[in-house]
Parts: sequence; structure tokens; C-alpha cells
Amino acid sequence: MTFFTVVVRGLLRRPVRTGLTLVGISIGIAAVVALVGMASGYEKGIGKQLDVIGIDVVVSNMSGGILPKVYEASLQERIAKLPHVADTTAILMQMLSIEDAPMMMVSGRQWGGFAWEKLKLIEGRMPRDGTEKAVVLGRLAAEVLKKKIGDKVQIEADELPVVGIVDGQALVENGAIILSLPVLQEVTGNEGKVNFIDIRLTPKSTKEEVTRLCEQVKEIFPAGRAMVASEVVGTSQGFRIARAMSWSTSILAIVVGVLGVMNTMMMTVFERTQEICVLLAIGWKRSRIVRMVLWESALLGFLGGLCGVAIGVVGVKLLTTLPSIRGMLEPDLNPRLLGTAVGIAVVVGLVSGLYPAWRSSRLTPSHALHG
Amino acid sequence: MATPIPMAASTDRVFEAVALKKEYDDGTVKALRGVDFHINQGEFVAIVGQSGSGKSTLLQMLGALDRPSAGTLKFRGTSLADRADLAAFRALEVGFIFQAFHLLPTFTAIENVQIPMFETKHSVSERQQRAIKLLTAVGLAERLHHFPSKLSGGERQRVAIARSLANGPSVLLADEPTGNLDSENSDIVLDLIVRLRREQNITLILVTHDMGIARKAERVITMKDGRIISDGRNETSQPD
Repeated sequence: MTFFTVVVRGLLRRPVRTGLTLVGISIGIAAVVALVGMASGYEKGIGKQLDVIGIDVVVSNMSGGILPKVYEASLQERIAKLPHVADTTAILMQMLSIEDAPMMMVSGRQWGGFAWEKLKLIEGRMPRDGTEKAVVLGRLAAEVLKKKIGDKVQIEADELPVVGIVDGQALVENGAIILSLPVLQEVTGNEGKVNFIDIRLTPKSTKEEVTRLCEQVKEIFPAGRAMVASEVVGTSQGFRIARAMSWSTSILAIVVGVLGVMNTMMMTVFERTQEICVLLAIGWKRSRIVRMVLWESALLGFLGGLCGVAIGVVGVKLLTTLPSIRGMLEPDLNPRLLGTAVGIAVVVGLVSGLYPAWRSSRLTPSHALHG
Repeated sequence: MATPIPMAASTDRVFEAVALKKEYDDGTVKALRGVDFHINQGEFVAIVGQSGSGKSTLLQMLGALDRPSAGTLKFRGTSLADRADLAAFRALEVGFIFQAFHLLPTFTAIENVQIPMFETKHSVSERQQRAIKLLTAVGLAERLHHFPSKLSGGERQRVAIARSLANGPSVLLADEPTGNLDSENSDIVLDLIVRLRREQNITLILVTHDMGIARKAERVITMKDGRIISDGRNETSQPD
């Protein structure tokens, strides 16, 4: 018999209570995995989209919610003339409720711009020109909306025919409805407006040149900002909000977990007062009693963490099959996140065990002779 | 029945108490009111008295489960108050046998006996072998893997006896060890304690209110109201 056996037996003493506590921690950790994994997945999806399209610098408005506010498309001409700009394309991106799907990405792209380049036609055709009132669907968007070539998609008050289904090579692209910029501007009442101007740089542009370019854009467009594509996700206010929300909700869940474990460990210590006194009476050091309680609570946290990660992973996979989410994001359940979640659970266990451990260390062995 | 205790050389003394006092609740309860005695190596001492006489409190002091309010208690010449490692004292120098057995319910007999050995440097297999040996010595070789709930009262107390001997103590402190047993099991358990004490030359200090048990001791200390009212050799002590 090892000390670990003693720890495990302590938890098995009240299996139902231990089980319920595990469920409590698991739910908290599952929330961490799900929320953070989805927020991170969404960020990565956007990052991959920028990468696939080949965008080097993104110009957008400073303010806005999940998506930045619209601004004048005419800025594109002035930006295109700046040094080290090889190409630009204007995009109006909107998150709209489309038929049964509560939220879908609708991307209006400058006709002939490089944002169309990487779209691989799977079925049908591309719009004939920039004025054709038609859409192509990313393959996931087609699945979610259950649309095929010839069907119509209602965007705001207009019904637009689906002329093609495309593979955009990135989740966000595949989950989007794509159409010509002027058509989306007209449909959404945003004539002459865009919310992104994407820039491709001239080859071998140095970091300093890019920084200078961003400053020049800022001079032209004081309300906006130009960001290197790799920094867009990290600095976007929308993503910051999403990240903050996911972590704050997770922290709430963790606090509930802490209270649950603390309650269990306090009950354990109260119930085992005499047992602990007997252990002290037969020679156990107080430090060993403290270690026993802390190990029990840490083990409870660890097991809760493992269960929580499993529930979180399965739960997120199930969530992403829901029509309202499918195609919108691919959760980023990387080993680091899962490891962090288990680590948080262990810390939750340890922190929860501190007070009960301290209480147990204050007991006096003479109580062993009573009762 | 009793004759006075002759003075022993101090080197033979296991415990020596001088003006030992214990008070509770800011002095309103005086459990020990100045107790003087010494106990020699290998003695079998019964401490008797009615409830509230202070005998269990005295046992607590001897086992370092509690600290005296005043006076001195020495173990082998060193004051217990000066020892920083009272846990080690409890683990290695004394073995406790409780009236209510106090076995840990989620551990088997062999595991219960190993519990005190965590404070030693024995390996896992050494602990296990020693526990088997001790349980065999108390006649429970067939009950090694039984949980306390599956053992009779007498068997539980025998496991507790094996546990008290886990680290080879020189002193056994027994608090009404047969108090929760029927007469048949009482005899078995008491005979076992006495036999093991004799075989291992252990000092046995046993608290009881049962004069039948006290008669088996070599020496009887009688307490009343926190004081020793008699302390002497038991002329009628039955041979082990």
C-alpha cells in the first residue's frame, strides 16, 4: 500500500459525492474547452482565410462589433497608389441571418479582385460579371442552407439564385455566401461602402516599408487602421471581445468548480475528524495530513479535468454539427488547450483543498480518545 | 493488596511525572491536579478510577496527544515539552490501543496495520511483510484482506493491537481496550496484549475501570478527582 492508495481510498469513501463533485468540475472544464476552443478556432479560421486569399495588409475601420464598421470604398484608389502596394481588393462583409441559419458570413467582393482567385468551382459557374445578381456558396454554406444550383437564397429583401458551389480552402470561406461587391452593397443598402480593403504587397517588401505603409494609410484614413494580416486576429476588437467573453464565462464555471470541490473537501474533513485525529495519534505528521487532503483535492481536480476535456471535446464536436454553427467555425482543440484545461482543473482542486487542509492540520490528536 | 513502589534507578524510568496538571476551559475544569509518579521499563501498569477521575487525561499526556498545563513529564529522561518531534514520538516510541478500535473503515486489516509505518523508512514490501507478521501474531493470518466491517469486535481490536505494534514501540498505551467487547473476546484480547507485552518486553500502561482487568497488572495506580490516591504493587497480580 502506498500513500497514493490512502489518497484514492479517501475519495472512494463517498463515491456518490465524489462523483457529483467530478461532474461539477467536469462541466466547468468542459465550458473552458468549448468556449476557448471555439473562440480560438474562429480566430484561426479567419487567419487561415487571410492566408489562403493571399492578403498581406488589411485596412478596416477602428470601431465596430464582430465586424468593423463600413467606410467609403473610394479610399481604395488612394491606397492603391501608395508605395509597395501591388494590388488591392475591396470587400463588404456582413453577418446576416439567412433563411433558417441565424448567422452567416456574406462576402461581397470586388469583381475581378484577387479575393476570387482561390475559389475552386465544384459545381455550376461563377457570376458572369460584377452586376449579375447571383451568389456562389461555399460548400459548407450550401450544406447548411440545403441549397443546390438553381435554388434561390434570400438575402435581406432580395432572392438571389445560386449559380455555383465553391471550395474556398478555408473554413470561413467554405461557410460563406459570396457575391459581387456592388450586388451586396445594393442588397444591404451600403452603396459605395466597404469594410475591408485588402492589400497585397510588392515582393520583398521589408518590415520597415510595411510599417511605413500602414502609417500612410492611417494618414489617409484617420478613423481606420492598416494591419499586417498576421496581426489582424490578435488585435481585432471583435476577437478580443470573443476571447474575453469565453474566458470570463470559463472563469465563472471554474469558480463554481472551486466551490464544489471545497465543499466536498470540507465535508470530507468534517466527517473524518476522528479518523484524522487517530492518524495524528498514531504518529502521522500534520504535514502528511495536509498532503493527504491536498492530494485528494488535486486528484479530484485532475480526474474532473480529464472528464471535462472529454465532455468538452465531444460537446464541441456535437455543437459544430448544429445548423446554426456548422460551417461558421472549426473549434481549435489543440493539445495545449486541453493540457491547460486539465492543469486549471488540478489548480482548482489544489486551491479548493487549501482551507480544508489547513482545518485538518488544526485538529488535535487527543480527540482520538473521544467517542 | 498493594505495596508501595520502591524507587527505581532513573535510567530504568520510561516516564516520570512531576506535579503534572491539566486544566480545560481556562482553568474551570481541572482534569489533573498535580500528579507525581514514574513508570519503569517493562512494567505493566493499570490506571484505574471512575469516570472523570483523570485517568484518560493522564494517558493523553503520556502519549503526547495533549500538552500538560503545568508540571513536567519526562520520557526516558527528556521532557516531552522539549521535544519538537512529538509526531515522531507518537509514531515510534508509543503504540495506542483505543476502546473504540478506531480502524480506518476504507482500509483492509493489512492496510490498517501499515498506516503508522508511513512515518518510517520501510519500503512498500517491507511494510507489507511486517503487517502480515503482526497480523499472524495476533491470530488474523486468515483475515488480512478483510475490511473492518467484515470483522468481529474482537478481531477489530486484534487488528488495532497489531497496528499499535507496527513500528516496534517500547510503550503500549491502552485506553479501555476491552470496553467494547464481550467477556469472551475481552479475555482473548487482554491475554493477547499481555502476552505480546511480555514477549517484546514492552511497557504496558492500561486505563480501565474494570478491577478484574486491573488485577492482571503488576502495578495499579488509582485516581480520583485528578489525583493519584494510591499507587502500589498488585500482590494479587495473576501471572501472565
